[in-house]
Amino acid sequence: MRKEGLSIASRLRRLLALLFALSLVAAACGGGDDAAEDADVETDASGDDASADDASDDSGDADDADASADDDAADESAAASGDPVAGGTLSFAAVGGVRHLNGTVQSGYATAVPGTQVNASPLLFDENYQPQPYLAEAWEVSDDGLSVTLDLVDNAVFHDGTPITSEDVAFSILTAQANHPFKPMFEPVESIDTTDPNVAVITLSKPHPAILMAMSPGLLPIIPKHIFDDGQDMKEHPRNGGDDFVGSGPFKVASYDAAELIKLERFDDFFIEGRPYLDEIIIDFVVDANALILGMDNGDYDMISAPAISIDQFSADDRFVVEAKGHEAIGQVDWIDLNTRSEALSTKEARQAVAIAIDQAGWRDIVELGLSSSNLTGIQNGSPFYNPDVANFEERDLDKAKALLESVGLGDGFELDMPTYSWGLDDSEFIKQNLEDIGITVNVRQVPDFPTWSAEVAGGNFDLTYNQVWNWGDPVIGVERSYRCDNRIEPPGVIWSNNAFYCNEEVDALLAKAGSTFDDAERQAAYFEATAIISEEVPLVYMGKPDWYQARNVRVQNPPNGIWGFMSPWHDVWLSE
Amino acid sequence: MAELFTTDVGADLAAAADEETAAAPQRQALKLFLRNRSAVFGLILFLAILIMTFVLPFFYERDPGDLIARPHLAPGSEGAPLLGTDQLGRDLTAVVVYGGRTTLRVAAGAAVMIVGFGVMIGALAGFYGGKVDDVLMRFTEFFQVLPGLLFAIVLVALFNPSVWTVMIAIATVSWAQTARLTRAEFLRLKNLEFVKAARAIGASDFRIITRVILPNAMPTLIVSSTLVLGWAILFEAGLAFLGLADVNNVSWGLAIGRGRAAFTVNWWAVTFPGLAIFATVLGLSLIGDGLQDAYNPKLRGR
Repeated sequence: MRKEGLSIASRLRRLLALLFALSLVAAACGGGDDAAEDADVETDASGDDASADDASDDSGDADDADASADDDAADESAAASGDPVAGGTLSFAAVGGVRHLNGTVQSGYATAVPGTQVNASPLLFDENYQPQPYLAEAWEVSDDGLSVTLDLVDNAVFHDGTPITSEDVAFSILTAQANHPFKPMFEPVESIDTTDPNVAVITLSKPHPAILMAMSPGLLPIIPKHIFDDGQDMKEHPRNGGDDFVGSGPFKVASYDAAELIKLERFDDFFIEGRPYLDEIIIDFVVDANALILGMDNGDYDMISAPAISIDQFSADDRFVVEAKGHEAIGQVDWIDLNTRSEALSTKEARQAVAIAIDQAGWRDIVELGLSSSNLTGIQNGSPFYNPDVANFEERDLDKAKALLESVGLGDGFELDMPTYSWGLDDSEFIKQNLEDIGITVNVRQVPDFPTWSAEVAGGNFDLTYNQVWNWGDPVIGVERSYRCDNRIEPPGVIWSNNAFYCNEEVDALLAKAGSTFDDAERQAAYFEATAIISEEVPLVYMGKPDWYQARNVRVQNPPNGIWGFMSPWHDVWLSE
Repeated sequence: MAELFTTDVGADLAAAADEETAAAPQRQALKLFLRNRSAVFGLILFLAILIMTFVLPFFYERDPGDLIARPHLAPGSEGAPLLGTDQLGRDLTAVVVYGGRTTLRVAAGAAVMIVGFGVMIGALAGFYGGKVDDVLMRFTEFFQVLPGLLFAIVLVALFNPSVWTVMIAIATVSWAQTARLTRAEFLRLKNLEFVKAARAIGASDFRIITRVILPNAMPTLIVSSTLVLGWAILFEAGLAFLGLADVNNVSWGLAIGRGRAAFTVNWWAVTFPGLAIFATVLGLSLIGDGLQDAYNPKLRGR
């Protein structure tokens, strides 16, 4: 009997130890699951503390890079002055995983990084947002803005050897039009003429100022019609990913595990002579930002998107170059969605009070570790359409905020529901503390993962929530969607549509005007006016614009640090030594 | 009426006789326990944690959610509270002091549920045997074969994390062990002489279970309960670490989970709450060992 008692006790103790070990393992897996869910979302899956490390949206000028980054960049360009050397393996790592590689039906960083290596787009973009030839060696937009002609290079073939024709371009555009979450991107496309296999003529129903930008690598990969045009649902097509993926880009898939690792190898028949330089690219998916940092520090990776917390460490390390350059076109803005349909936040005054009570500058300083700058309109700063002279609620004035609440009968305080998941916890807790100061009790509700959170937010089941939304190069693609009345999608809804359920017909008219002309002055005037109205009505509280840092090994030359950053082909990248 | 009366007297007699013989070993056990240095150390450790959690807050009044200083301040650096600050500039001293409340409350609640339900099921199964045993044990096995942590994660995720859901989830996945242990004890005890004697006198089943067998199974159950409490604390911490906790209630596990993202620059945000959990579970474990030795003195030194 006594013996039995002891063995049970020691068994229990062993179980205790086992549980602890198990919880650690599960923790690792748990992080991975979260991240994998994020993988298909636009705001990337850089892990739990990703808020700070995701994006930058200055329009290409590097003056927001800190001093050390500038120095590093200078060192790096000196080192890069040698002649390119072909060969070698570049190892890249990101948090999460991918759903597949087909960017015509899936937005997002996770898809676009490998996707732009295996798929070619009609155009590339330089640092000044000007189109550059890629699959299209020439292009022309008609004077009335109603037709776009693309002249394709004639030696381009898919990875299976089939020539790339205008049929494939048309198929890709129509697939994106029907399936891509960014509806306005190809909405005006009426028809595509493919009479000449090397010329695609796109007819538009109205002038579309972002039509060329929409042909960027991450937004319009050219996919093979002969593989995909079999009547299956493109979003779930079995050939969207896998070892047998047939792409058009400089690298082809060598091995494919969507959750763990994708290995790409040089495509010898790529249409640009002598490219790519690299023999092989390894894209390793890790569970969280810590794994990214430790792997980089160990020398396992050549290039990563550097989490904010690691920037000091890597900047001080001679082995690495850290730059706040690249990804400018993404234009991430972090904001708080205020649900205009929730009773307490239905008035402009209450929303203004919330905006005044939130300490945006403190958030940038503490949560973002100072690596974020002020943004007042949701259009990225640095864009010609960014209007700095709008209603500004950044100055924290608690008395004024309380007075505003009293003016709408909310002076006695109230409760707000704030769903988030691991990714926005720090931000949400920060805001909870801010709003406590004006008598608002915020219940931060942590939901298990990204799909749950997006379902809650899209379904309007929230009062406020922390969010990160990207500009994607042009307001037509990434900004309009958050404000248009017709983009208030009833539950179950769509994440990153008009999730605040904001509606103002004047704003709608201005956005429509700005979205259907090529005249930049006219567009600017319309966006200025629209954002002035929106900022005053506060459907969203803009928190700031985070800078996007990349860290890479000094041996990486011609790094992908253009406006699309890692979401552009790496055919010019080479390794020194 | 008369029958009932005699039954009661009989049972009382049996129980009294039993208690008399049990009382001396109780004192003996206490003496042995207090002589056991590691057990006393465990007890002191656990009492210290209890004092820190339930008394210290009166002397260290602070909202652990307040953002009081710069983030990532190391302990001992200028302007930093005793244990430094976390990634949002919250006082880690307050997090450690206040965090124990949630952790211990959830763990204690779960342990009560585990022991209560587990003992009930185990006692019934062990005492009655036969079909009752079969049904109850198949039911128990159903819970035993499910991977505990995963099942708990599903439960908490399904019903949104709150103090109650976490408590119930832990209890749901953990009571089976206690049920099996209780059943084994009951199987062993129910055929012993004094139980037969109580039965012969005419004691009711309920009385035999609660007043005759259970007190004799107590040593084993008490030892296992201390370990169950430790288990529940680790479980709560594990769930909170995975983000399955009510973030409006600070807890040690939550603090570790939250601090993990920055551990490359901020070791103290995970270390101190971790030490608090370590100390609590170590204390409970030593107490459990001490009780084990005290109740079974012949096994000491093994």
